[in-house]
Amino acid sequence: MGELPLPPLALYVHLPWCERKCPYCDFNSHESRNLPETAYIDSLLADLEADLPFVQGRVIQTLFIGGGTPSLFSAAGIGRLMQGIGQRVALADALEATLEANPGSAEAEKFAGFRAAGINRLSLGIQSFQNEQLAALGRVHDSDQAHAAVAAARRAGFQRINLDLMHGLPAQGASAAMADLATASGYQTGHLSWYQLTIEQNTVFYKQPPILPVEDVLADIQDAGEIQLAAAGLEQYEVSAWAAAGEQCRHNLNYWQFGDYLGIGAGAHGKVSFSDGRIMRYAKRRQPDAYLAAAGDWRVQSQWLTDAEKPGEYMLNALRLNSGFALADYAARTGLPPSTLQPALDTLTARGLLLQEGTRVRASALGRRFLDSVITEFLA
Amino acid sequence: MSDLSHIRNFSIIAHIDHGKSTLADRFIQHCGGLSAREMNAQVLDSMDIERERGITIKAQSVTLNYTARDGQIYQLNFIDTPGHVDFSYEVSRSLSACEGALLVVDAGQGVEAQSVANCYTAIEQGLEVLPILNKMDLPQADPDKVRKEIEEIIGIDATEACLVSAKSGMGIEDALEYLVENIPPPEGDREAPLQALIIDSWFDNYLGVVSLVRVKQGVLRKRDKIMPKSTRKVHQVDGVGIFTPKRLETGILQAGEVGFVVAGIKEIQGAPVGDTLVNAQHPDVAALPGFKKIKPQVYAGIFTISSDDYEDFRDALAKLTLNDASLFYEPETSDALGFGFRCGFLGMLHMEIIQERLEREYDLDLITTAPTVIYEVVKKNGDIVQVDNPSRLPEVGDIQEMREPIARCNILVPQDYLGNVITLCVEKRGTQKDMLFLGTQVSVVYDIPMAEVVLDFFDRLKSVSRGYASLDYSFDRFETASLSRLDVMINGERVDALAIIVHHDHVQHRGRVLTEKMKELIPRQMFDVAIQAAVGGKIVARQTVKALRKNVTAKCYGGDASRKKKLLEKQKAGKKRMKQVGNVEIPQSAFLAVLKVDG
Repeated sequence: MGELPLPPLALYVHLPWCERKCPYCDFNSHESRNLPETAYIDSLLADLEADLPFVQGRVIQTLFIGGGTPSLFSAAGIGRLMQGIGQRVALADALEATLEANPGSAEAEKFAGFRAAGINRLSLGIQSFQNEQLAALGRVHDSDQAHAAVAAARRAGFQRINLDLMHGLPAQGASAAMADLATASGYQTGHLSWYQLTIEQNTVFYKQPPILPVEDVLADIQDAGEIQLAAAGLEQYEVSAWAAAGEQCRHNLNYWQFGDYLGIGAGAHGKVSFSDGRIMRYAKRRQPDAYLAAAGDWRVQSQWLTDAEKPGEYMLNALRLNSGFALADYAARTGLPPSTLQPALDTLTARGLLLQEGTRVRASALGRRFLDSVITEFLA
Repeated sequence: MSDLSHIRNFSIIAHIDHGKSTLADRFIQHCGGLSAREMNAQVLDSMDIERERGITIKAQSVTLNYTARDGQIYQLNFIDTPGHVDFSYEVSRSLSACEGALLVVDAGQGVEAQSVANCYTAIEQGLEVLPILNKMDLPQADPDKVRKEIEEIIGIDATEACLVSAKSGMGIEDALEYLVENIPPPEGDREAPLQALIIDSWFDNYLGVVSLVRVKQGVLRKRDKIMPKSTRKVHQVDGVGIFTPKRLETGILQAGEVGFVVAGIKEIQGAPVGDTLVNAQHPDVAALPGFKKIKPQVYAGIFTISSDDYEDFRDALAKLTLNDASLFYEPETSDALGFGFRCGFLGMLHMEIIQERLEREYDLDLITTAPTVIYEVVKKNGDIVQVDNPSRLPEVGDIQEMREPIARCNILVPQDYLGNVITLCVEKRGTQKDMLFLGTQVSVVYDIPMAEVVLDFFDRLKSVSRGYASLDYSFDRFETASLSRLDVMINGERVDALAIIVHHDHVQHRGRVLTEKMKELIPRQMFDVAIQAAVGGKIVARQTVKALRKNVTAKCYGGDASRKKKLLEKQKAGKKRMKQVGNVEIPQSAFLAVLKVDG
């Protein structure tokens, strides 16, 4: 096998604290009053240095600070973090730098500072514009704060704003879900992440399940929402992501296109390719205390993907995109010949789940609805 | 070594839960067969399944040395017997090695039908039957009532019956004395050439075939050249001895004794149960009467989930049949399930136990199809065929008449529950043959179609009588009946492995309940799945498993990918345990759905 071109590289930064843990959230987040902000930023930068061999001469194209609730950090802290990152890795001129923010009033006051620190895209965890839904989700903000946060983000100079919305909430009917969508798209922020509430293991909701809408209502909400968002001029480009022209989240696109990313911070995951075709996944120490005390020993799991795993891993990401993937990209990103995929592709095409158009492959409308079943066919 | 007058060979006849295993353990303990530390509760039930289910399936033996009150040492050979209604055949095998039997009856509950049937077998075989009333420590014990019942129902004298509590240890020595005094010693000429009956054989991975034998005449020694009468192949005896219950090499077994023999027999049909062992120097010694071949009552197809396991499955069945002559099997091919075996069983419990043993001891993943009894079909051309597989039923147009097997059911029930039991028998298409009031119990005799009996009759009988009714049944005759094959179609495709034969009156009901049950068991898929029950071309019931509307993971970003992948991999592993019929994935459990169809 010859040398493979390395995929684009992104950087993910995890800030693991929240004011309060939401009952549906299974991300690595921890409740805390007193954030060890300074010490944590020091660790993040040292952690990044330890990952530098994985950069392999590449420029960071996108950066995403997620959580937890990154907006709990001070603007000065985010500034020092951004500066520190810039001193250690090369950042693209057109760097996309996203920060996740909670729409609370305390956070909104910091938005201008985040902007000044070099953050150019804000992702607001709105979830719903209706108070009873927000209460049911255990969110700390209310509807007024949600509206105020969008305005504050605009005032702070953010051109690119994502609104995170959830649907299929306890006792939510199709009309309430559509009202939320209408409110959100009315802000014309250019990007919406709209995803169905799912009950994950290791959450409060898993142990004490809320009463969720029945499957038919959920499917009706999905169908109606897709129509409404298209009418609002937003294009669905992924299972749960909608954007105006040119406003897609480049950081997330990189995941779904099976690009590379470094992950720094407690519980952060990374994926790195090498020109000989090997692909490594790794994770950092998950507990914030352990991470802070790790001193040089942040990376705890690293694992090489086997050739048998690669097709499933690729499809798990690439088929989420409405545009699918090009067979040449599959070969470049996995180092495997597309010919081995062909029997599965043909079977799924015959079942009406995939579309093969020239050298591109994508899920059909039916395939998008049963994407898990489609992806399962590629798993080892 | 004991002379014949100091040997006693006996079995224990008891209903499940009447305390047979506990009593046996007490005997072993009293005679010092095992130290207290080794007395793993109920040592004789040696298969895991036996211990878990609290029943005995296979004959086992133990040799004990008992020092009687007269100062003499007696060799007691206890041959265990199974206690469940499905296994009455095994009982007569164990009894053939004995001169006597202890009838153990729960002093609170009284006599049960199963024990009655086994007592009659013992008496027919010329055994001395000694009544023992167990559980005397319980407040509800009523020895006078139970003594009377034994005399009225079984017809043996119970005035001398021993009163014991196996649990507390009360009366154990009295019972042993009673046994030594009343069970006759075996007879047999030790100078005559060898003649030994194989009571049981099983396969040991290290030793090959191990046989439990009763020496009728002559002597069996280590290094003797012996041959089974059926194969006439000569083998050298590598080991001979007794169970204490640990295997103990003694180098010799003499006429009147019971013990094991190992003779390097590797092929599993080399020493069949019921066969006679003779010395190779005296090949013409007559064969002992063996055991009558028992006909299985219940048939089902068993298939491996993965076709790779087929060879292992075949070997496992061969090994199981070595010491379970009642297990029948022959290859079967199903459109839906591939290659497997049609197996015949004594009853449902037997079937469950075989399936469990195959899965547990041989590590096989299996699908069992709906059990059926054997039907007799008279064709228009006059041929009479027996059908043990619904999918092999001749074309409807070729059938002149169908006959179903009828079981004669002897039921013993306390008067309070008589009404419930009669209602149940009527529901199961039974015809009353006899009714007799015996003290507080009633003996009722019904003729009931075997298909109804083997399905869930025993369980239902127990539940309508709070556990007090007991049952013994046997095949009686074939009788003309109005029967049809109920087919199941999945998305229009007939699934051969799901077909069942049912009585006309039950077609609608069974069809409806079966399709409803299947609907619960078949997971929702990308398309609607139609489940239809049909007789001939006529649909009698239909259910639809509605298609899923979507199946997609809402959120997946970089860090989630590994976790989401694991979830999908788990789902995929679950699917591998399903059978694909056409486009439809059907789980294992759906093939047994018919069992859950009540009445």
